[in-house]
Amino acid sequence: MSTSPVPRPLRDRLLDERAWKIGSRVLLVVAAVVLLLFPLSPSASAQNTVILALVLAIGASGLNIITGYAGYLSLSQGAFLGIGAYITAVLTRVAPDVSPFVWMPLSGIGAALIAMLLALVTYRSRGPSFVIITIAFLFLVQFVAIEWTEVTNGSAGITLPLPDWPRELRNWPFHLALCVLLALSVLMSWAIRRTKFGTGLIAIREDEGKAGTIGINAPIYKVLAFGLSAVFVGMAGSVYGYYLSFVDPVGMFSIIICVQMVLAVILGGRGTLFGPVIGAFLIEPLNALANNSFGGGNARLVLFGGLLVLLVVLLPQGIIPGIRHLLARARSRGAVGLSGARLDPRPAVTVERAAPVEPPKPLLEVRGLHKSFGGNHAVDDCSFTVPEGSITALIGPNGSGKTTVFNLISGTMAADAGTVSFAGEALAKNPWSRAHRGIGRTFQITRLFREMTVLENLVAPLRDFSFRQLGLGAVSGTEAAKAEELLAFVGMAAYRDAPASSLSYGQQKLVELAQVLMLDPKLIMLDEPAGGINPTLIARMGDLIRELNAQGTTFLLVEHNMPFVLDLCDPIRVLAKGKVIAEGPPDMIQKDPVVLDAYLGDDYLLDQQSKTGGIAVVKGARR
Amino acid sequence: MQRSAFTRAAATLVSVAVAALALAACAPDAPAPEGTEQGVIKFGASLPLTGEFSQGGLDTRQGYEVWVELQNEAGGLLGRDVEIIVKDDATNQNTVVTNYNTLIDQDGVDLLLGSQSSLLNIPASAVAERAGMVFVCPSCGSPDMFNRGFEFIFFSQQAVATDQAKVFAEWVAALPEDQRPKTAAYPALDDPFAGPVVEGAEAILTAAGIETVYKDVYPATTKNFDSIVNSIKEADADIIVQGAQFEDGVNFARSLLRAGFSPDILYQSSSPTYGQQYVDGIGAENAQGVFFSSSYHVDADTPGNPEFVAKYEEMFGGEPPEDAADGFAAATVLAAAVEATGSIDDQEALADWLRANEVPTILGTLSWNEDGSPKGDFLVGQWQDGVSQVVLPSDAATSDTILRWKGSAF
Amino acid sequence: MIPLVQTLVLGLLIGAVYALMASGLTLIFGVMRVINLAHGALAILAAFLTYTLWSQWGWDPLVAIPLLVVVMFGVGWLLYVTVIKRVRGQHVSMTVLATFGIALLLEGIMGFIWGNTSHAVRTPYTDTSVQFGPFYAPTALLIAAGVAVVVLAALALLLGRTWMGRAIRAASVNENGALLVGVSVATVAAATFAIGVATLAASGAMISTIYPFLPGSHYQWIARLLAIVVLGGLGSLPGAIAGALVIGVAELLATAYIGAAWPIAVPFIVIFVVLLVRPQGLLGTRLREDAVA
Repeated sequence: MSTSPVPRPLRDRLLDERAWKIGSRVLLVVAAVVLLLFPLSPSASAQNTVILALVLAIGASGLNIITGYAGYLSLSQGAFLGIGAYITAVLTRVAPDVSPFVWMPLSGIGAALIAMLLALVTYRSRGPSFVIITIAFLFLVQFVAIEWTEVTNGSAGITLPLPDWPRELRNWPFHLALCVLLALSVLMSWAIRRTKFGTGLIAIREDEGKAGTIGINAPIYKVLAFGLSAVFVGMAGSVYGYYLSFVDPVGMFSIIICVQMVLAVILGGRGTLFGPVIGAFLIEPLNALANNSFGGGNARLVLFGGLLVLLVVLLPQGIIPGIRHLLARARSRGAVGLSGARLDPRPAVTVERAAPVEPPKPLLEVRGLHKSFGGNHAVDDCSFTVPEGSITALIGPNGSGKTTVFNLISGTMAADAGTVSFAGEALAKNPWSRAHRGIGRTFQITRLFREMTVLENLVAPLRDFSFRQLGLGAVSGTEAAKAEELLAFVGMAAYRDAPASSLSYGQQKLVELAQVLMLDPKLIMLDEPAGGINPTLIARMGDLIRELNAQGTTFLLVEHNMPFVLDLCDPIRVLAKGKVIAEGPPDMIQKDPVVLDAYLGDDYLLDQQSKTGGIAVVKGARR
Repeated sequence: MQRSAFTRAAATLVSVAVAALALAACAPDAPAPEGTEQGVIKFGASLPLTGEFSQGGLDTRQGYEVWVELQNEAGGLLGRDVEIIVKDDATNQNTVVTNYNTLIDQDGVDLLLGSQSSLLNIPASAVAERAGMVFVCPSCGSPDMFNRGFEFIFFSQQAVATDQAKVFAEWVAALPEDQRPKTAAYPALDDPFAGPVVEGAEAILTAAGIETVYKDVYPATTKNFDSIVNSIKEADADIIVQGAQFEDGVNFARSLLRAGFSPDILYQSSSPTYGQQYVDGIGAENAQGVFFSSSYHVDADTPGNPEFVAKYEEMFGGEPPEDAADGFAAATVLAAAVEATGSIDDQEALADWLRANEVPTILGTLSWNEDGSPKGDFLVGQWQDGVSQVVLPSDAATSDTILRWKGSAF
Repeated sequence: MIPLVQTLVLGLLIGAVYALMASGLTLIFGVMRVINLAHGALAILAAFLTYTLWSQWGWDPLVAIPLLVVVMFGVGWLLYVTVIKRVRGQHVSMTVLATFGIALLLEGIMGFIWGNTSHAVRTPYTDTSVQFGPFYAPTALLIAAGVAVVVLAALALLLGRTWMGRAIRAASVNENGALLVGVSVATVAAATFAIGVATLAASGAMISTIYPFLPGSHYQWIARLLAIVVLGGLGSLPGAIAGALVIGVAELLATAYIGAAWPIAVPFIVIFVVLLVRPQGLLGTRLREDAVA
């Protein structure tokens, strides 16, 4: 390092990460102070706008948990605002002498419970079906509010008493209450993001199917996420209703507010901490502007409709991610990426393949498995076992159903018939309970969670379900330590903080293996671990497998690379046209005519026969 | 490249917006009402100029504007010119609250006038109450408006919703045995105003022995009434009392025509008071004999009415619809209180004065109870030969005959 | 008995009109997996255009239909090229948001142009009804149902017998395969969207004679249409027809036997029940979510 004071170029100074970090922290503090003290402003209509913006921000921040983190777009977030407002209004009607603020926690809990009920009921819906159901939910809640006149007073609405504090205090109580709720909401969002729960939600967003195979019980995660997304929104609704002093079905369950919340989340940046808040504070003044300057109703619709369309088409990632992206691009110009780095060297370990236990107990038993897709019988009465402590291979020509069998075992697909039992017991249907029982699998085309870092990818898997587990830290703590250990084991320690999308195919495979190891699995199923990678990496794969096997893990591999298989695996099962046609040790399989026939077809044998008069034995049958 | 250019633009937009917000926050509002010593007296109101209730909102605005013109021609209020600021709330409650807040704080109006419809005035009046300003509303007949213990609210029509159909129902109940209907149907719009109108009528008619064979509340979004009319036709009602607003009244009548069903007596609240709009909507021969309650009649011999009608004709052409008259009356009431107390600042004095006094308006003489609800009776009107006549009470009637729907006289 | 049959008759007639409206929505979903939440607003647009043609120049809605078909086809094409094409590749929720944005935009624009009060087209046949036996049917409704049947038949012919129709069906089943056999998928997609919107020309024109409408009416329509295509199975035209008839009858039965407020809830209840119990609807196929892309 040079000691002479060379001034750093301006560009570098502007892009310095620490400067940005400090700068944004300062900005945050300033904004928070301004916000908190806002009722000092001489303009009451600006105060009104800020209060409405706070409500919108709390709604958007809550929505961020299911839409931003978990990726489920909900067009009914505003309903929870209304539910909270109604709970408070109804209770105030029943007990008029109690301040409506007292009912705030109940409003939050009520909204959360209904949200969780919605999640429970819609657990099978994804993508567009889910959005449609949330729209239906919003209008149904509105319908209930209109018809249940005994409780809600129907479309006439419920009026709340005027505030009982002196007029000089004006909006302070509302404002402060909402500021506190916003702070809590953002804090909760931050906390979630840092725990296993948060990484699990993002895993669900990125690839729900894969998330299941690493033990993430999506329905429960969703129910929890929904509940958390609604609790502060319900409380905010309570304050909002009191502020308006009037609660009615049309105003409280308006689709426009729901759209504004979604807009705020997307504008600010889905999945970011402050994005939804910034989005809300941009949208609410626009709303007020549209009302005052452009004559109300239709102007607002054109504005928000147009904004929505423009946003989706031009800036779907939102402002904060957009800025981050810009900065990252600027910073990385000319810099060398990590991908070119070599793998960490591993100590050479010689492992004796342990003599198989006599007689070998089956860890996994597949019996009579059937799976058809329309007329195509992909798996047709398939039965085999995987002995405990072995490295078993499942080989066969293309289209023989190997990956489908894997899917049936890991629970990713449901079988039409047949059983899979593990350690002597039957398995539940869903993939995460199979993962909890100790079955881990990788995928032929790696499925890592691209938006998360390598470390976060490793922290996401859930060994077994407990709330304590969910609360464990994702970036530091025991889970992170274990993740780092496993990363070092596969040789990827340098890539701890790299985004998973920046890894090469081979590196992704190693990380995926490490990810599976987080489950402490008894059986690891590897789908073409040697496919598409260079020989050095293949050798490393082999080493890793042997080392883990020596420690007691059973393996089931699907592979096409015959030298790799014959060297590593014993026993071997051969699958063709959905059935197991041969099983046995490597040397037997190599010579088995049935196997050769399946791979090479009749022609080969005929040709050989005609030329030499005997069956040619080819060492290491290749496709 | 396009993406990053856009994000750059977005980032700039953010900073600009934040700066603008900060500036807007620091800008003080217009000086408080104390400051307007000389100059114009500012009235402020929010009305549904767009959205479901826009017809009523537009009509009410016309009434306010006619009043401003006439008042200025007569020398203004307390010697000063008057003007009115009208904002559009698009028939949306959140917006009406925001609008009144803006009117009070940012525009610094001296006096408030109400919005149109109970639905909007319920939350709007709370804003006024909180600010301690008198709130005279031209159309807020729902009983829910007056049971909140408010001190600054006043309704500038003759009676609340539950009593709107009272005079009509009493007339029906008093018909001789052979002419009185035996069965009745009560379809009502789900609205805090329309519902109570029908409830009030039903109470009186049922007490007179008329059997209810259909009673239901339809949501505001109902456009096609064929199935409702079907049910009423099955039940064979002799009299239909419909709690309507405007369009639903027209559409309901058209469904009756399609189904070929004609009860003896057809009463619709509000809808038939929309003058030519109503007649055009259902056809002049079909309007014949439709009953309605009205707060206003063009030919009524009430203080200031001829001037109002003439000015309306000059400014907008045609005859003034009921909502315009109601708007005019509301302004008249407020102005009377201001003239009497001599000030625009002491809102409490204005409120006290109104509670203790009567005000002559184009709707007749209005006066109020403690809670701001009016004491009085509505007129009952009927369309006869394309003209909207008053038929009850007899001392105010402009026509001696009372007709059946599309039929002969009683 | 008679009131029940009368209700059924009215329900089936209105169901036919619903079927025509829903056909475009399900066609668009079937080919490009886009749920067009602007479908209701586009129908209202067609209704407003019909209204203008009628009120300014005295055109009967039936006469206006051919012109409207061309106009709505153009509108659909334009929307596809400017918005839909760009969001197609993204996550499906983004397409939902984009089309919802279009719906709001249309609502605001229609409000600016025509105002927010109800409009209705009043031709000689809108206030009369046809009597047959003890039953009656509003004339306008009969005509609308007739038009619906004719246009649906034309649509079926288009899809089944013409090259464009086959191309559309091919693209909906397997886009890559269609590309490989020489189908210009980009053009087909635009054409599908445009055809889907064009069907609204006829239905919008007919709606203007039956239901008074205003810009804000599109929410109730899109709710109904979503319920219909969800019930029938997303992407299935016969399913949409079946679903439409069921919903048309269900709404009227609800009014007659439960209460006037209930027809509003029918679409939402249907959506909930169907998506929870049998997500593929009556005749649709389940999307194979495990298929490797």
